[in-house]
Amino acid sequence: MDERLHAAWRVLPEYLSQHVLLCAAALALALALCLPLTLLALRRPRWAGPLVAVASLVQTIPGLALMALFYPILLAFSALTTAAFGRGVPALGFLPALLALTLYAMLPILRNAIAGLRGVDADVVEAARGVGMTERQILMRVQAPLSAPVVMAGVRTAAVWTIGAATLATPVGQTTLGNYIFSGLQTENWVAVIFGCVTSALVAIIADLSLGAVEQGVALRERKRIFAGVILIIAGVAAALLANFSGGARTYVIGAKNFSEQFILAEAITRRIEGQGATARIQQGLGSAIVYRALAGNDLDVYVDYAGTLWTNVLGRTDTPPHDEMIADLGRALMARDGVRVLGALGFENAYALAMKPERAAALGVKTIADLARVAPQLTLGADLEFLERPEWATLRNTYGLAFKATRSFNPTFVYRALASGEVDVISAFSSDGRIAAEKLVLLADPKGAIPAYDALVLLSPKRRDDPVLDRALKPLIGAITPDAMRAANYASDRDADKQTPAQAAETLLAPIR
Amino acid sequence: MTSEMIGFRDVSLAYPGGVRALDGVSASIEKGAFVALVGGSGSGKTSLLKTINRLIEPTSGEVVFDGAPVAAQDAPVLRRRVGYVFQGLGLFPHMSVAENICVTPDLLDWSKVDMAARVSELLTLVDLPQEVASRAPSALSGGQRQRVALARALAARPPVMLMDEPFGALDPVTRDGLMRACRALHDALGLTTIMVTHDMQEALLSADRILVLAHGRLVADGTPAEFLRDDAAPEVAALIDVPRRQSARIQDLMRGQGPVAHG
Repeated sequence: MDERLHAAWRVLPEYLSQHVLLCAAALALALALCLPLTLLALRRPRWAGPLVAVASLVQTIPGLALMALFYPILLAFSALTTAAFGRGVPALGFLPALLALTLYAMLPILRNAIAGLRGVDADVVEAARGVGMTERQILMRVQAPLSAPVVMAGVRTAAVWTIGAATLATPVGQTTLGNYIFSGLQTENWVAVIFGCVTSALVAIIADLSLGAVEQGVALRERKRIFAGVILIIAGVAAALLANFSGGARTYVIGAKNFSEQFILAEAITRRIEGQGATARIQQGLGSAIVYRALAGNDLDVYVDYAGTLWTNVLGRTDTPPHDEMIADLGRALMARDGVRVLGALGFENAYALAMKPERAAALGVKTIADLARVAPQLTLGADLEFLERPEWATLRNTYGLAFKATRSFNPTFVYRALASGEVDVISAFSSDGRIAAEKLVLLADPKGAIPAYDALVLLSPKRRDDPVLDRALKPLIGAITPDAMRAANYASDRDADKQTPAQAAETLLAPIR
Repeated sequence: MTSEMIGFRDVSLAYPGGVRALDGVSASIEKGAFVALVGGSGSGKTSLLKTINRLIEPTSGEVVFDGAPVAAQDAPVLRRRVGYVFQGLGLFPHMSVAENICVTPDLLDWSKVDMAARVSELLTLVDLPQEVASRAPSALSGGQRQRVALARALAARPPVMLMDEPFGALDPVTRDGLMRACRALHDALGLTTIMVTHDMQEALLSADRILVLAHGRLVADGTPAEFLRDDAAPEVAALIDVPRRQSARIQDLMRGQGPVAHG
């Protein structure tokens, strides 16, 4: 079997079970919330319009944005509960994903339930009252069964939406089938992307068929169909629960941002921890702002971040002190403020850099960023999604007076494609990126030292900062990964032909380390 | 005076905006009576009927059922003691004919055996074949559905039957058959029946007593014989005029006379 397919199969039980449980919980919660709201709308018809309007409004927020929104909300809420009860709530992972998906699932359920109940023939409802039914009996014996097909159709729609939208929970730290898609997109592992799409589509189809059986059973008053559908759903959720809890205790959670180097390093750290007889799991595809807070909040135990990112984004510093001084300051500041420990530097830098095709650079006579400033008004800059928002870019722009004709943002992988195809003339790159050497790009020198140091640092959460297992597992990595080794590993997983999975690349990277 | 089954004491019903659907209606209906409530659309006849089992609450006045004001009785409990045939029938489309018929007995916690026996008995009573019991209402003809609605209203052996234009949508032959079946059931079961209709001829032919409503007021109250007397009040005479002329013409035709204009 293809190694990529094999790798995808291996994590399927975890991804699938997490995905199914998340969706089942969100749908169950949405149903539980919609029931009283529907009854309210039925008893007080004036409320129906506003209720559906609010649910529709939620629906207009993109799924990914809704999940992202819950992160700061939960963070603030967690601060409140910590102050009040001494306990926080997790702001990352299951909870924000659950809340966002629940809100998302409510519109179709609520809209159909209200429409279904209102659609019941008024003569029939009056007859039910006239034969002596109480309001509750009218609801249970007449309105509910007569509106069930419409209500169930809403539940089906909600289920299909939820199962699809759940793939977007990966960036907020919840493992789902979306992990295949997000990591596959980063490493151009199309097998993983297709695998993620197909599996999540299959889950949606199976859920839809099961609920469809229930819907038909209710409409035709055939108990067999209802049972068949319900049993299929219960079996699916039970299997997911079983798979999820038989997986054994996973002790360490390793964070990874959304690019290949992070995936490889997370895999390498996992292997080192497993080498100590402990187990670990990777929470990958996290946004760069979320990942540090997750570590500081003990949602993650360990991850690798870069000195300059921590300096400017996390600490909000705008000065650029000399390299060694900055690393030392950083360690002290993170410990003092958040209790986060910098275990050490891995030995390579992954700095932001500007890169060009050599022939274009030569033709324009550009060797440094200072040279670039001269011709920038004729050129287009291609950047990854973060770069243009980062303070480093502002510093760089102000220091050299850079003013491009246009700037465009891409997913990190596509930045190189855009440069190769001539869509852009200059790109933001990472100095450890294997593609720089592979595509023979020139990195423009930074004579004014505007870009800070970007040493890769291993960070430990407050809870785990003195953990002996992590210490034993990760100390040998400090200073042991050379820039060339990292570049080679990155390239092995980024190149188009004969591509390695992050796990394979991590093996190669660890081979010389004892 | 025979004992009163239903009493209306100055019953008024006003809708927000000042429209008075009922305006000071008072009447007493004795046990065993077959009363027709007659009036045009908007006369308030259906509203008056619905005050009896509290489907409508009057804004003032009092309705008395079997010696007690209805307002003091629990509405669902009261309704289970009153058979009601709705204008739109209101059969439950998701229930079989048998389940429809037994809906009130089921609410009263009858045993399954008693309910099955009652279904069989009622199907015979309303002249329906036994095999319709398991069918859905949608599988029946219009006349059969009317009979099911009648059987449902009778199922829990209520002392009172309320019927709101029960046979409105049927052809004349079916309608006449059902009307006579209704009257026969009323007599056989010793019911008190109130039937709303806009058809004076139907009222004259089936009821013991006719109440006429116009604009929410009770404008006439009497037996069919009193209504047909020549000295009847002008409102009554106007209502009686059409059936009287029609029946005279039919009699002329039957005696072999050609069509002649009556003046």
